[in-house]
Amino acid sequence: MKKINIGPFLASLEEPIYFKLDVDDNEIVRDVEIVNGFVHRGLEALTMQKNFFQNLILTERLCALCSNNHPFSYCLALEKIAEIEVSKRADYLRVIADEVKRIASNMFNLSMLAHLVHDYELMRDTMDTREIMQDVKETIWGNRMDLSAVTIGGVKYNLDKQKSEFILNSLEKIEPLVDKLFERFCNSEKIKKTKGIGVLTKQQALEFGVSGPVARGSGINNDVRVKAPYAAYDELEVRVDLESDGDVYSRMKVRWYDIKNAIKILKNAINNLPSGPIHLEKRPHIPAGEATVRTEAPRGELIYYVKTDGGQKPKRMRWRVPTYMNFQALEEMIKGNRASDVVLILNSIDPCVSCTDR
Amino acid sequence: MSIKEAFDFELREVKDKKGNIEYWAKIDKYKILDVAKTIKNLNGRCVIITAYKEEIPRLVYHFDVDGVLINIEVDIEDKRVDSITPILKSASWAEREFKEMYGIEPINHPNPKRLFLDDSIDEEVLARFIPLSKAMSGNLTSKMWHKIQKENNEKD
Repeated sequence: MKKINIGPFLASLEEPIYFKLDVDDNEIVRDVEIVNGFVHRGLEALTMQKNFFQNLILTERLCALCSNNHPFSYCLALEKIAEIEVSKRADYLRVIADEVKRIASNMFNLSMLAHLVHDYELMRDTMDTREIMQDVKETIWGNRMDLSAVTIGGVKYNLDKQKSEFILNSLEKIEPLVDKLFERFCNSEKIKKTKGIGVLTKQQALEFGVSGPVARGSGINNDVRVKAPYAAYDELEVRVDLESDGDVYSRMKVRWYDIKNAIKILKNAINNLPSGPIHLEKRPHIPAGEATVRTEAPRGELIYYVKTDGGQKPKRMRWRVPTYMNFQALEEMIKGNRASDVVLILNSIDPCVSCTDR
Repeated sequence: MSIKEAFDFELREVKDKKGNIEYWAKIDKYKILDVAKTIKNLNGRCVIITAYKEEIPRLVYHFDVDGVLINIEVDIEDKRVDSITPILKSASWAEREFKEMYGIEPINHPNPKRLFLDDSIDEEVLARFIPLSKAMSGNLTSKMWHKIQKENNEKD
């Protein structure tokens, strides 16, 4: 037995995470200890010192890839407490922002997978295709990462005919490219080697309470958009495709399904966009109360708990990102695999360390 | 068996605009192990545990059973509560987190190590009052001034 340390810096991603592995003579991992907290910034404590509108800005900056989901869930929680009715158009516009982020986020992770198996051509092409979605973000919201799309009681952006057509055209452009890339990913010899690596059985996945593509890769459908619909998801057809093997390869496939389904949801939402106001006339008052809401972020279930006392600031705010649960299952996924595959398995849960540590 | 019938106490039902059901209840902390067992029998999971301080520290357990959220509130007067991790593995990190952030001890947790904070940092550090004069470098500067003065005096 020998010890191998991976991290804390540049283990698969730029974000810091530290693995202490016990490895036997055949380079197989027998035990693993995960050390985290390198980017713990006390953000929950910070949100309790800011007012409700300042927190819109702060929550958006928790994470880059799922930045839209945080203010989205936060607003849903406040609207639940204050019993604010959001217009249908705003609900649809929220879904559009969210699904665009989902496509871009998943494609980023998939190109990282291609990078880690040293298939650089595939990585470059995936990133190149993702750029279509980045252009959409830049054109509609004026930014490549933080969209600042959601506000309390509605949204901050609107779509006219020209902008809607631009998004639809971009989707037409990306759809055949996604199909081709999916085929290339499934047939790539280097990616086929990830079959059987980092297995999380259905039973284990249920025990650890994983969510998102990690759960769907193990044959569990706990997609919040289907199980407890929010915004406009009850009116839009949401298809969820599953895989059953629970390995890195299955999780890759599930992410491609997510992208394909997100394109369908986007088309459906833009073509059926209702008319009406997009936000409230006045700034709302948030009374005392508490609420829990859940949304489906690109990586899985995101939950927000907000407690208010009638003042300008939240009394307690708590959120749990999908990576928080998926990380706990990571130990089981890593045990029994080769030490050289650890980084590949880490990438397969699409870790977001800064929103997990907060 | 429906979720409501599975528990031996009253669950308050809350329905949102989309018709999603959510349950709330406030119970005695000694009952939390029974709740965890019931959730396990229903094939549920622990989503997260929220800790916060009113007059006394309080925990809110958020469980999920096939898309239905069950929120259980528990008051913790003596800052100790039975760990539900041996029953529901999904609660492990949540319990480790409230231990280091709020100093509430989960009894019989299988791996009660620190989660985010380093061992050198005290538990419940955010709850403590630290005077600004102590936190700022004023203290250090005066120490340095006295040191230099002392050295100068020795030279003379």
